[in-house]
Amino acid sequence: MKDQRSDTLIEKESLPQASASPMTGSEATIKSLLEEGVDTIFGYPGGAIMPVYDALYHYQDRINHILVRHEQGAAHAAQGYARISGKPGVCLVTSGPGATNLVTGITDAMMDSTPLVCITGQVAAGLLGTDAFQEADVIGITAPITKWSYQITNADEIPEIVAKAFYIASSGRPGPVLIDITKSAQVALMTKEFTYTRCEKIISYRPRLQPKQDQVEQAAALINQARKPYLFVGHGVLIAKAEEELKAFVEKTGIPAACTLLGLSAISVDHPQYVGMLGMHGNYSTNKLINEADLVIGLGMRFDDRVTGNVAGFATKARVVHIDIDPSEINKIIHADAPVVGDAREALKALLPLVEKRDHSAWIDAFKQLDKEEFDKVVKDDLFPESGQIKMGEVIRILSEKTHGKAAIVADVGQHQMEAARYYRFSQTDGYITSGGSGTMGFALPAAFGAKVGAPDREVVAIIGDGCFQMTLQELGTIWQSELPVKIIILNNNYLGMVRQWQQLFFDRRYSFVELKNPDFITIAKGFGIEGKRICDREELDGALDTLIQSEKAFLLEILVEKELNVFPMVPSGATVSDIRLE
Amino acid sequence: MEKLYTICIFTENTLGLLNRISGIFTRRRINIESLSVSETERKGVSRFTIVIKSDEREKVEKIVRQIRKIIEVLAVFGYEDKDLTYNELAFFKVESSSALEAKKILAGYQRAKVLFEDQRVLIIEKAGTEEEIYSFFKQLKPLGILEFVRSGRIALPSNERGLAQYLPEAEWVDNI
Repeated sequence: MKDQRSDTLIEKESLPQASASPMTGSEATIKSLLEEGVDTIFGYPGGAIMPVYDALYHYQDRINHILVRHEQGAAHAAQGYARISGKPGVCLVTSGPGATNLVTGITDAMMDSTPLVCITGQVAAGLLGTDAFQEADVIGITAPITKWSYQITNADEIPEIVAKAFYIASSGRPGPVLIDITKSAQVALMTKEFTYTRCEKIISYRPRLQPKQDQVEQAAALINQARKPYLFVGHGVLIAKAEEELKAFVEKTGIPAACTLLGLSAISVDHPQYVGMLGMHGNYSTNKLINEADLVIGLGMRFDDRVTGNVAGFATKARVVHIDIDPSEINKIIHADAPVVGDAREALKALLPLVEKRDHSAWIDAFKQLDKEEFDKVVKDDLFPESGQIKMGEVIRILSEKTHGKAAIVADVGQHQMEAARYYRFSQTDGYITSGGSGTMGFALPAAFGAKVGAPDREVVAIIGDGCFQMTLQELGTIWQSELPVKIIILNNNYLGMVRQWQQLFFDRRYSFVELKNPDFITIAKGFGIEGKRICDREELDGALDTLIQSEKAFLLEILVEKELNVFPMVPSGATVSDIRLE
Repeated sequence: MEKLYTICIFTENTLGLLNRISGIFTRRRINIESLSVSETERKGVSRFTIVIKSDEREKVEKIVRQIRKIIEVLAVFGYEDKDLTYNELAFFKVESSSALEAKKILAGYQRAKVLFEDQRVLIIEKAGTEEEIYSFFKQLKPLGILEFVRSGRIALPSNERGLAQYLPEAEWVDNI
């Protein structure tokens, strides 16, 4: 600036290490996200996050920000994006209710090991703890449901914390992380130059990717000795992108492979050694033969109670190999005779040279025999009903045929979720995205949208129940505004089907508050600018699914299905897997 | 049969960590018998000493594994009483009218001394294991205890290992 008493310029005293144009915290936030390769943000603005949104305004050409209609939608959309692409999903919301609206989605991501980076605004640092407007203790609230969280009150910390957040979210066993940025930190100028270094390691957090050789050898020995080995393929295989290694392992060892709900599509359903799905509503053979096996191999799965049933009656004749990246999962539910801590892909690569070529066709045949029984008693009527209302199973069968098993099915929670898992013939990986551990109703609509953003060239079809749809239907607005061709199928039985089934089977048909008076979903969709169609006759089914698939824009197909359909087989709660019922 | 287990946790000195750690116990409905935290001989590294009761060693091992998952936790160890040298501190406040009697009782105990005395009250400090403190308490109780506080256990394992072995990274400056 010019000295008023002369014509000379006075040098402004420069701060040590300040950059030529010091950056605000909010700018540093956006720049850090760009350095991490973020191309999409699912968000909803508000008072405490406005400075970041203002910074974002200048980067619209580099980051695709999608405005959702409810922050829960942002969380689920970020999950769908992360599940299909493998990259962390990013949410940006404001303080108070904006942040607390993320809680359900964050819990879901924690349970299903989905990488999420949630950035929440927070009141100015000076107001913390004063019950200020839209203040909430987000760090406290989300402590049990995040892998890591941090509150930023100093703008200088932003690049380092963002780098740490992305590293933690995507490494080891992935999970959600939350960064709470005070408004004061957002508007403050950094006192040092913005430099960004990706986080490559953290002293207190060292996930093991490469398994220990002695563990691998012990596992290989058990595998080679086994006469009736049985492989359980879980979500870890998809996360590790180990589909090729899995196929090689399965083919060399000759072992039958079943998938958990979240492991579906890791191996093609047409593979001769694929024997079906595990779990409470899995296949008959896959459950019944667990107690015939002499070795079970858990690969990237956590022996969840839906899979084990009564733990005392699970794998009673078998020794256990448990391969997982999270050491705290080993021996948590089931005792492991040969634990292998490591990434599924690295573990399979290490095992491959040590396992011997085997043929277990006779053992696999036992599965196929029981499959016949399941087909006669359950599957035939589910897939090829000759009369009566449309069944969920036949919808999935025809959808599967028309999409050649290559679509990404995003299922909500309930009977339709189970039918979609059972009957879609997955032939391409990352083909089934659902809320597994949490069973969050309302997951599918926003998650399908997020998945479409993450894989725009893939056909994404959401399968949603009439109850579930109403939990997050406002996200139709997001779909309309984004103009993405998300396909939605509502399987409408006018009931909260899964609960009704339990009330029928275990509560003497006391249908306590499960019947839904549903709105006209097609009119609602049209109100949101989305084309739709409702059908209830079998004859219309084929044509309607063609219309759905061929539509170049978003489309909602509502199918009225059999009202009191029950999903079988079923392992009732508390029963053992051998007690699986066909009716 | 319920036993005491001591869990020692080395962590970075981060805000909110106590909440995360205690959450692991709350989720499993485990009552924390005592908890002590302080900075270690290494700057920026804190040490938690948590005592719980459990009827099964396996349950404690599971908790230790869950705690190890927390990002800022550097190391976790679980111990039974036999592996440790442990103690805690207690203060007892009695009316000055009981001071004479109290001092007689005090004389019969090791590591018990008068901390504070005036015309109103006498405050005694006693160090020892939980049982020793409890038996001192029982002896003092008939005199009328006005107020009483325990510090919670601190403990060191009786083996030859130390922080340098637990946390071999040389990234911190030793600060004694």
